Amino acid sequence: MVHALNEIRRVLVPDGFLIDLRPIVDQWRVEVISARETRETGRVTDLPLGLADDTAANQAMANAEAHGWFLREHEEFFSIHYAWDSASKMEEWIDEEWENFVSLDEETRRATRSAWALANADSQVRVKVKMLITRWRKRT
Amino acid sequence: MTVQKDPEQNETKHLHSFADFTDRRVLEIGCGEGRLTRRYAKSSAVTIGIDLDRNALRVATVDRPARLETKVHFVNAESENLPFQKATFDMAIFAWSF
Repeated sequence: MVHALNEIRRVLVPDGFLIDLRPIVDQWRVEVISARETRETGRVTDLPLGLADDTAANQAMANAEAHGWFLREHEEFFSIHYAWDSASKMEEWIDEEWENFVSLDEETRRATRSAWALANADSQVRVKVKMLITRWRKRT
Repeated sequence: MTVQKDPEQNETKHLHSFADFTDRRVLEIGCGEGRLTRRYAKSSAVTIGIDLDRNALRVATVDRPARLETKVHFVNAESENLPFQKATFDMAIFAWSF
């Protein structure tokens, strides 16, 4: 990771910059949303590997800063949604695509299925994912 | 397994508020299937997306709009050994996939 950051620095022009854009595990909120309302049905559970990935990424960027390779210019947290047409599709996605870093407990699964079953036909299930974006200026 | 990723395009809005892509030479590390690439590359001078996943790069190439064919390219490469000369890019995007 640190080696990759040094490589990125090498291919950037003097005064070039790096945008670091990534999800941050933070017990993301699970919601059922319809035209009428948004209902929180639970939270995902953060898994050790997801937390370790965040720590490693933070450490790598801190190392790059300590080496004098990049200067942190600006940073913000924001959220994006992942949305599915049903609770089962959301569960399938989390179990297969995000299995290494977050999971769903049984209570959240039940609450989400129930809320989705009772909602309107236009309802969606979504997960609110926390994101971090940072602009790093190359130091010469 | 249909999923909508960031239908509100918050990621794109934040990306554009952090960087002006106009006429820039952009390297995207971890471009995957090019979902993010397609959202900013139009105004860049040239964009190179790299990823280790050949299947994802194939999808990225197939899904690349015709108007981006001359300025967006996808390359199978690892971030620890970038196949580019020194000072090739104005900006890099490290887009962590999940």
